[in-house]
Amino acid sequence: MNDPHVSSAATLKPGKRAIGARLRRDWPFLAMTAPAALLLLVFHYLPTLGNVIAFQDYNPFEGRNAFEAFMKSEWIGIENFQVLFADGAFWDAVINTLSITAFQLVFFFPLPILLAILLHGLVSARLRALIQGIVYLPHFFSWVLVVTFFVQMLGGAGLLAQEFHRHGLTPWNIMSNPHTFIMLVTAEAVWKDVGWASIIFLAALSTIDPTLYEAAAADGAGRWRRLWHVTLPGLRPVIVLLLILRIGDALNVGFEQYLLQRDAVGRQAAEVLDTFVYYDAIVPQQWGVGAAAGLFKAIVGLLLIVSANKAAHRLGEQGVYSKT
Amino acid sequence: MNSAPPRTTSRREFLAATALGSVATLSGSVFIAGCRKRARALGSISNAQQTAAVLPQYRPVRFLTPDIPGEGPLPDGYLKFPSTLVRAIAKKPGSSGRPIKTMTPAWGPTPPGLGRNSYLAAVNAELGVDVDPSVQDGMTFAQKLSAVLGARDVPELLSAPRWEIDKIPRFSQAVKALFEDLTEHLRAEHVEEYPMLATLPTTAWQYSVWGGRLAAVPYPTDGPFPWALFYRKDLTDRAGVEAPKTIDELYQFGKKMTRASQGVWAFGNIFQIVQMLFKCPGAHTGWRKKPSGGLEHKYEIPEYRQALEFAVRLHREGFVHPDIEASSGADAMTLFNAGKMLMTQDGVGAWRGTQSEQAKITPGFNIQPVPIFSAVGGDPLAWTEEGPIFYTFVKKGLGKERVRELLRVLDWCAAPFGTVENQLRQYGVEGKHFTRAPDNSPIPTELGRKELADQYGLLGGRVPALVGTADVPHFVEDLLAYSRATYKFREQNPFLGLKLEYPPNYSKILQTTEDKINDIVRGRRPLADLEQIVAEWRSTGGDEGRAFFEKALADNGR
Repeated sequence: MNDPHVSSAATLKPGKRAIGARLRRDWPFLAMTAPAALLLLVFHYLPTLGNVIAFQDYNPFEGRNAFEAFMKSEWIGIENFQVLFADGAFWDAVINTLSITAFQLVFFFPLPILLAILLHGLVSARLRALIQGIVYLPHFFSWVLVVTFFVQMLGGAGLLAQEFHRHGLTPWNIMSNPHTFIMLVTAEAVWKDVGWASIIFLAALSTIDPTLYEAAAADGAGRWRRLWHVTLPGLRPVIVLLLILRIGDALNVGFEQYLLQRDAVGRQAAEVLDTFVYYDAIVPQQWGVGAAAGLFKAIVGLLLIVSANKAAHRLGEQGVYSKT
Repeated sequence: MNSAPPRTTSRREFLAATALGSVATLSGSVFIAGCRKRARALGSISNAQQTAAVLPQYRPVRFLTPDIPGEGPLPDGYLKFPSTLVRAIAKKPGSSGRPIKTMTPAWGPTPPGLGRNSYLAAVNAELGVDVDPSVQDGMTFAQKLSAVLGARDVPELLSAPRWEIDKIPRFSQAVKALFEDLTEHLRAEHVEEYPMLATLPTTAWQYSVWGGRLAAVPYPTDGPFPWALFYRKDLTDRAGVEAPKTIDELYQFGKKMTRASQGVWAFGNIFQIVQMLFKCPGAHTGWRKKPSGGLEHKYEIPEYRQALEFAVRLHREGFVHPDIEASSGADAMTLFNAGKMLMTQDGVGAWRGTQSEQAKITPGFNIQPVPIFSAVGGDPLAWTEEGPIFYTFVKKGLGKERVRELLRVLDWCAAPFGTVENQLRQYGVEGKHFTRAPDNSPIPTELGRKELADQYGLLGGRVPALVGTADVPHFVEDLLAYSRATYKFREQNPFLGLKLEYPPNYSKILQTTEDKINDIVRGRRPLADLEQIVAEWRSTGGDEGRAFFEKALADNGR
């Protein structure tokens, strides 16, 4: 920490004067942060209090208003968690979610890096801009559109199947095969988001000092050696950062994509934690159990992110945050 | 899965019917009920007959003489549109000038909102107050409803389908906490302030009572059947194939009409109808009395297994449209209309709307229902539904004057066929939203189809009527003939007249179980898994449900 502001503040005497002085000095920054902090407070911290219903038989119709409903609903300790953990469907959903995350870490996560390197290597700026435009575009499509598009192309009555029928062949079952569903959703995710996800890597690539490449080339390093010894080390902090965030988010794989395709392959393949909460808690108004599932997800996410960050420190990376 | 699609006449309501199968798909859940230490909410049973004291007096008004008087659950039929209409309400209902927020379901594209919709403007001018509707997708209405109820953030007027309400646990508590008690406004002769509401049949009002108090204005049903099996008669005639009369002919229909190489499949989702053909019970999710006493559920009887086997066979042979297999069936009617799928189940209400709209697009288009038959010998069995299609609730705590104003608006919305109000409400403004056919019947224009979505129609109930219009010739006669023929074979519903709020543990497993069975229908699980699924169903709430339904019968001496 060699921020001049911090060090000068540290040399001041602690106490009211110091705070006053710091306020006088920092107020523009504080003012700039205030709206964001307020948003965070109102839309994140305040609703967090609602997690109490995970320990209640929450009945929204108790009392005269929502607050009274919180106060008057019966406290039942950890019963909601017991119900949740005894439910086979919940664990199926957890396993599905983690499998999809693991699968996508291997088959999706590296792709934006490769794409970024590829794009970075393009000499023609116009060609690069064109390709970027094309690969970023699907990110702005909604999942409804993406899934519809896939159904129209690859579905049982889609273009591909029609072509098969025309040649007297039996078409592949792509869209409604529970066994290959994990590949299907990954393919959809790649199609939709690979371009968008490459932006941050492109930015990181542009910060690599070109003289490093020149020096490496002068030392006789070929294209692959430069990639290995210059490009990838340059990207490493960003890769590790995103990896940690992704791992912390392991129980989130998205919602609409699975909601839309759950019927096609059945819940055994497509039920993820979020759709489980939706179908098994929100729709039948099991608020307490739903909140318990949400809390479970948050705690697991926290543990994952802390341990991934620790692991990153061990490996000598900066990670998401550090204590000192 | 026995939720009833409304059998009404407009396009929107027909879509309501289409939506049902999939709406039902979105509800329910699975928790191992055995793990609950205490069963907290138990469901409730009330007898519709015992509500007389809080019901409005029935004061029928007839503005027209029907050509075919209604009988039993079938509404009056009118073969022609009248040339002169009566004004039913003299005074404008609006008095406060404050806009009225409403929420109604609609199946189909969302119409433009207040300020961008000339239909709303026309009706609001007539009402003397602005109704500001929030039209919600009927397919996902259950979830919207869960959210607004859970957040206790209800609009001033809320119209909700009965089949969604039935599935909401603790709904009677929600009524008490969130909705106005209308008893003192409408009870007995008090209803005279609202003469059109007084024309609604008592049988519909009986269902609007929660906890002994009148809490909603009902939208009476206009037909007793939840499902019909429709086919494209124009296309099958061309292929020289007739409507099936036996289960084997149904199978042969699939074989002859499926042309995958041309992108045409015989069937959409027809599993509910197949169950009915195999004479599985349909009352309250599928219960029937055992000869030896007690109740048995359709899942537990051999007929259901046979029906399932048949459905699996249709899937295995590839007779079912792949898009239907891949989704909840939201676009079933699109495929049907395009001739990509030749037979599908739907609410009876699908008939008119589809015919009216498609006849303009596809010359010769002809949608017809398949007369029901039995797959297992004896007479066929027709599932029937009772109770109103929708309820309209008034938000609690608005003050007496506002409630009276809202009820006057609902009264306006309840004006029956043959009135000026009814024509404006159902068809919009002449020359703008509809034009006249030579026989005087209104034919919707493009603007009409775009702007109207029953924003007012669902609110006030209305005395149901079947009205012949030129866009679907002979419809009234055909529908009544079909209905009479089917009604002969109606199921004897042991719960008739009972209003039941299912125990939460039972509501929760409805959809999960259907999901699992759907896995079998679509070939993702072997048929042999049925035993296991039924065992799970019994232990997680099925047996609790049985006890509840048996108690409902015992309490009422049945």
